[in-house]
Amino acid sequence: MRRFILILCFSFLTLFIVACSGEKTGNEKSGSDSDEGWSPEKSIEFVAPSGAGGGWDTTARMAAKVFNEEGIIDQDIGVVNKTGGGGAVGWAYVAGKAGNPHHLFVASPPLIDVPLNGQSEYDHEDFTAIANLIADYGAFVVRADSEWEDLNDLFEDMKADPSSITVIGSSSPGSMDHIQFVKVAKAAGVDIQKIKYVSEQDGGELTALLNGSVDVFSTGVAETVQQVRAGKVKVLAVTSEERLEGEVISDYPTVKEQGIDSSFVNWRGFFGPSDMDEEAVQYYVEKFKELSDSEAWSDIRQQYGWDEMFMSGEEYETFLNEQREEAKQLLDELGLGK
Amino acid sequence: MDVFQGLVQGFEVAFSMQGLLFVFIGVSTGTIIGMIPGLGPITAIAVMIPITYGMNPAIALLLMAGVYYGAAYGGAAASILLNAPGTSEATATTFDGYPLAKQGKAGKALAIAAIGSFVGGTISVIFLTLFAPLLANVAVSFGPPEYFALMLMGLMAIASLSEGSTIKALLSGVIGLMIATIGIDDQTGTPRFTFGTPHLMEGIDFIVIALGLFALAEVTSLILNRSAKLKDMKKIGSLKITKKEYKELAPTMGRQSVLGFLVGVLPGAGGTISSFLAYIFEKKISKNPEEFGKGSIKGVAAPETANNAANNGAFVPLLSLGIPGSGTTAVMLGALIVLGIQPGPLLMTDHTDVFWGVIASMYIGNVILLILNLPLIPYISRILLVPRPLLISLVIFFCIIGVYAVNFSTFHLYILLAFGIIGYVMRLIQFPAAPLLLAFILGSMMEQAFRQSLTISNGSLSIFVTSPVAAVLLFIAFLSLLVPIVKDFREKRKSTK
Repeated sequence: MRRFILILCFSFLTLFIVACSGEKTGNEKSGSDSDEGWSPEKSIEFVAPSGAGGGWDTTARMAAKVFNEEGIIDQDIGVVNKTGGGGAVGWAYVAGKAGNPHHLFVASPPLIDVPLNGQSEYDHEDFTAIANLIADYGAFVVRADSEWEDLNDLFEDMKADPSSITVIGSSSPGSMDHIQFVKVAKAAGVDIQKIKYVSEQDGGELTALLNGSVDVFSTGVAETVQQVRAGKVKVLAVTSEERLEGEVISDYPTVKEQGIDSSFVNWRGFFGPSDMDEEAVQYYVEKFKELSDSEAWSDIRQQYGWDEMFMSGEEYETFLNEQREEAKQLLDELGLGK
Repeated sequence: MDVFQGLVQGFEVAFSMQGLLFVFIGVSTGTIIGMIPGLGPITAIAVMIPITYGMNPAIALLLMAGVYYGAAYGGAAASILLNAPGTSEATATTFDGYPLAKQGKAGKALAIAAIGSFVGGTISVIFLTLFAPLLANVAVSFGPPEYFALMLMGLMAIASLSEGSTIKALLSGVIGLMIATIGIDDQTGTPRFTFGTPHLMEGIDFIVIALGLFALAEVTSLILNRSAKLKDMKKIGSLKITKKEYKELAPTMGRQSVLGFLVGVLPGAGGTISSFLAYIFEKKISKNPEEFGKGSIKGVAAPETANNAANNGAFVPLLSLGIPGSGTTAVMLGALIVLGIQPGPLLMTDHTDVFWGVIASMYIGNVILLILNLPLIPYISRILLVPRPLLISLVIFFCIIGVYAVNFSTFHLYILLAFGIIGYVMRLIQFPAAPLLLAFILGSMMEQAFRQSLTISNGSLSIFVTSPVAAVLLFIAFLSLLVPIVKDFREKRKSTK
């Protein structure tokens, strides 16, 4: 009997350790003293500030996989999910690792939008921007039997009677799905304050579109492919500058080719905590460049329909600041800026 | 391809060496994870994602599915033995499971839970096999107004979860609704009652509240009432279920297999809501509703059958539409994407091995789970023989692990502690905790659906009656409110005559 309990306790303990093993954190002194610059001496942590399976998570896991499999980085890379607050929980976590170059995180436009909405005390300037890796794009989706054939049809109806059309997306107002739609609509001359947007965060966006509760679904390109193939929906526009390459997605018309001068890029890159050692930043920039240029990463990009978009250093900083100015203007106009 | 052919192909996948091995690993891991209070299938599957790298996607999905429904089996054990919900889906099982254990019938309660899970799991997988593509239409038929009506209907049942005072039950429900507003509001992006900390942005996790209100409150009262007689608790009792009991339970299990499955099919509803609804439904139609809450065997069978059925139901939108029906299936969907499969309406034709392999594995998994769980009952129940001081510390230990594992933050441990104290105080002043939890879990979805509906309709309430489904559900909600009042009124008139 007693032995059984012992075994039970032991197995629970093992499980506990397994469950927590992704949680390796360390405060020991980092960096090596060799003359060849910095290199990591222990395992590296990639933080995905969201649950498993989203865009941040996929990027982090795929990057970690290719880094290790291709031998670009020898140290083990673990991916940790820090869910909550549209990213704010993960950002707060990395912000607490100031100066420790073993913790990086994946970021995209919400790192700019969420702080502007007043939901995170940290914004991109509180971290070290290391390198941007890829670009993804937004897509505006309607039911296959919808009367709108292109984006201009939709926007004309929106101008005539904004109260008759509802847009759905999975992020809160002021974050990505909302902003990408508003940005394009504004360029087309729609009164963006009158756009009806509902946020659905329990996974019901597509059902609401399919059953007619809402009219337009603002989402990412990847989410649309299977539904388009099945003939359930059609994509009115994709927010990339030029047509995307690949099966199905090459059929999506861009916003630009429909005469609306606008685009939206869902950039995705890696950031580290503040006060990172210059040599450590240099190390990562080189490694990310190597990753971006690798054959294996090119396959991954193709698999997920991502575009190559490598930026680092000053170029990246400037880009981020521009993005913020643009987002701030839109949010202020919507009355969402804080 | 017809169903039969598909199923044969599915069994080829599931009966392969690798398939069987991973079904077994999945369901046994799920059972163990489910048994530990707080650790649920989401945590387990998230841990498994890195393991599934490079695996055949069909095998990866059947492994994760095994963890999912395995946890629904295991969840009952801690609920019944310790009053600590093993998973959020097993919360409703504590209502009658723990009283049964206190009466020395832990063995029977566990056996009923295992059999109920098996029946719910098996009947629902048959539905899944036969009707998945058909039912996909049911899944998409619910938009914001329909969800609001469904949640309101569930909320109306709060009064029936009262033990004695209806007013107290309603008050408890209101507190639940208030707690549900904590966190970022989806429709405006405004943080509400977060006191500036990012830890509260996502709101409070259901399992933190459930463990606090049930497990910690129970532990506290055990510590404070040392004299309380719990001699019977040491008895495990026979596992045997009599013929009469089987007869009594059969309709409950049958009904809840169907209802649970249907609730599971609706994206967003899922196992926890279905188990609460099952419990309330059975209590409402029971001839002896007063037995519920005091150790009714139906009170154990209903939620345990329904949560397993709902878990399988959640695979309908996942497999036939590529829409996750619950938090756990959302994680699975993510994992499939990482494996290079984009789930969608064409999964069934593009990846027949994945679609049918998972369904076939569920038949096998459920049998394995029953064989695994029934003989384990006497051993697991022996945890009750552990001396009380030790047992109490163990429960506290597990609660802390479970809550910490939700998002690896110590902040939520304080919330757990707070709810432990609140739960104990609620017991002292005889406020039922169940209505609080029910209102909490329905509250946020109900509020969001209500506001989404009003945005769509430009503020007009008519949207709730122009949809036939919503109208019917609201009518039922209205009836469930009216019937007890009329009944009461009649009885009073009778007694005055």
